[in-house]
Amino acid sequence: MSAFLTELLVPFSYNYMWKAMWVSALVGAVCAFLSCYLMLKGWSLMGDALGHSIVPGVAGAYIIGAPFAAGAFFAGILAALGMAFVKQHSRLREDATIGLVFTTFFALGLLMASLHPTSVSIQTIVLGNILAIADEDAAQVVFIAVVSFAVLLFVWKDLMVTFFDETYAQSIGLRTRTLKIVFFTVLSACTVAALQTVGACLVIALVVTPGATAYLLTDRFSALLFIAVTIGAITSFLGAYLSFFIDGATGGVIVTLQTLLFFAAFYFAPKHGVFASRRKANATKEGSTQKDRTAHKPRALTGSV
Amino acid sequence: MDPIAFFTDPLAYDFMRRALGMSILVGAVCAVLSCYLVLKGWSLMGDAISHAVLPGIVIAFVLGIPLAIGAFVAGLVCALMTGYLKYNSRVKEDTVMGIVFSGMFGFGLVLFTKVETDQHLNHILFGNVLGVTTADLIETAIIAGGTLLIVLAKRRDLLLFCFDPNHARAIGLPVNLLHYGLLVLLSLTIVSSIQAVGIILVIAMLIAPGATAYILSDRFERMLVIAVVVSCGSCLLGTIISFHIDGATGACIVLVQAFVFLLAFLFGPKRGLWPLRALLHQPAEIDGSKSANGTASKPGSTLPRGLNGAPQDFVDQRR
Repeated sequence: MSAFLTELLVPFSYNYMWKAMWVSALVGAVCAFLSCYLMLKGWSLMGDALGHSIVPGVAGAYIIGAPFAAGAFFAGILAALGMAFVKQHSRLREDATIGLVFTTFFALGLLMASLHPTSVSIQTIVLGNILAIADEDAAQVVFIAVVSFAVLLFVWKDLMVTFFDETYAQSIGLRTRTLKIVFFTVLSACTVAALQTVGACLVIALVVTPGATAYLLTDRFSALLFIAVTIGAITSFLGAYLSFFIDGATGGVIVTLQTLLFFAAFYFAPKHGVFASRRKANATKEGSTQKDRTAHKPRALTGSV
Repeated sequence: MDPIAFFTDPLAYDFMRRALGMSILVGAVCAVLSCYLVLKGWSLMGDAISHAVLPGIVIAFVLGIPLAIGAFVAGLVCALMTGYLKYNSRVKEDTVMGIVFSGMFGFGLVLFTKVETDQHLNHILFGNVLGVTTADLIETAIIAGGTLLIVLAKRRDLLLFCFDPNHARAIGLPVNLLHYGLLVLLSLTIVSSIQAVGIILVIAMLIAPGATAYILSDRFERMLVIAVVVSCGSCLLGTIISFHIDGATGACIVLVQAFVFLLAFLFGPKRGLWPLRALLHQPAEIDGSKSANGTASKPGSTLPRGLNGAPQDFVDQRR
């Protein structure tokens, strides 16, 4: 028994594991914060697109030896401008535009990595490698996450009003345009940070799943934020911890944990879970719960604050 | 370099001939599917399904069944699960899609690290068209050929379903069957493309040709032809370029496709930013009127369009 316990405590005796767990938790928390907005606005795939689009920037930065965050940020902005430009000047649907631009950027990153296999490891970029993160990279990630978190804590209410009732936001004198720019800057910065922990392909999970799980558990926005951030931090910490035992795939473990939590909430949530609504349906002996549930969509959230 | 040698040099190698055959095959079937996806607004469904096939591949390896079957089942599970979760909760569809496919992909990665396979993760993710064997080629030919035949046989029904599902239902088409049929065809296409471009870049193959054809043509049959030509041409050129620069093949194919899209987007005859025909004809008209005015009107003719429609508010639009 005690041998088993010692086994469980082994990860804590390594410096790199401590670093990986705390950095992951921090990134998970701040991404979860953002997920509340993205999920309610229906912008989930933006996280995916950004995560893939910054790959050439990261690859380029590694090739020329610049800080990866700078390269990633540059590529992200370029991709966003590209999407806006194509969308404005063609009749393509938004999803096709987004898909087109981000896959092109991703392919560019892949090509750059394949031409310089020694300086860039494409596997690290795509799958993340927090267990072996270099100290200066970790410092960049922590800096990004802390600053983003501070900014979000400062403006979360203004952002909420801006996104869910813009007319009202303007009428009470909020600078909605500035707020949006702040939000998207923070989002791209956090995507860059998330890339280091879970990799380009799984960034979307960090910026969607915790928010969606929390959304099944509460109707109040402040509670939503709190639950999502807690879920994001704990699953990321635990994911990094567990990945010690399977020698890698930190991103995979974190995301699997988050998805399992989502399914738990989906079935067992007290009010919005499948079982709860089934009970309700049985109690009322009516088949109209389906309509009930779809009727009070995000409106309920904005109204309650 | 001699332009003919540029194309013929790679053909001297056996593996390049197989690679070219493979990429053209995959290019054709992806192009046909992409036309429907672009019209239906399902571009990101390809994204979701292609990521989700990863655990299927690993599980199929463990069970010792063909990898294609595992991948296909996993792709379908992702599509069905997305529908199920969306129907039974108040979470939006795109969010549900993101949760399901990222969850499956993450789980696939975990499985992959735990299971000893003879597959390289990089080959699954980014394709390995240069290592295609004749058996692979035959398998892909069967899957892709079957998919292509079904789509082309049912092309009108699928078109109506994509354009106007209500009308399709009203005239008695089996809409649900078409819905799931299209999902099955999409999964099959992705499965057949894994070897050539990998599960990440197949998304591009499923968007770019359709998008290019869509801005070039108003008629669906013509759109299909353009998409297939663009896609196969890009696959051919991309594979050959990758041979010469020694870069990732899938990435080269996708970049060539993106370049073709860019050309269509900028110079397309009807909807291009600077339509080629107008550029060619303008000098003749200018000669008739004032030349100074004419040159100024070239950029001017496109600029106001952009300004009028300008600050489209992204947020408002989505609400």
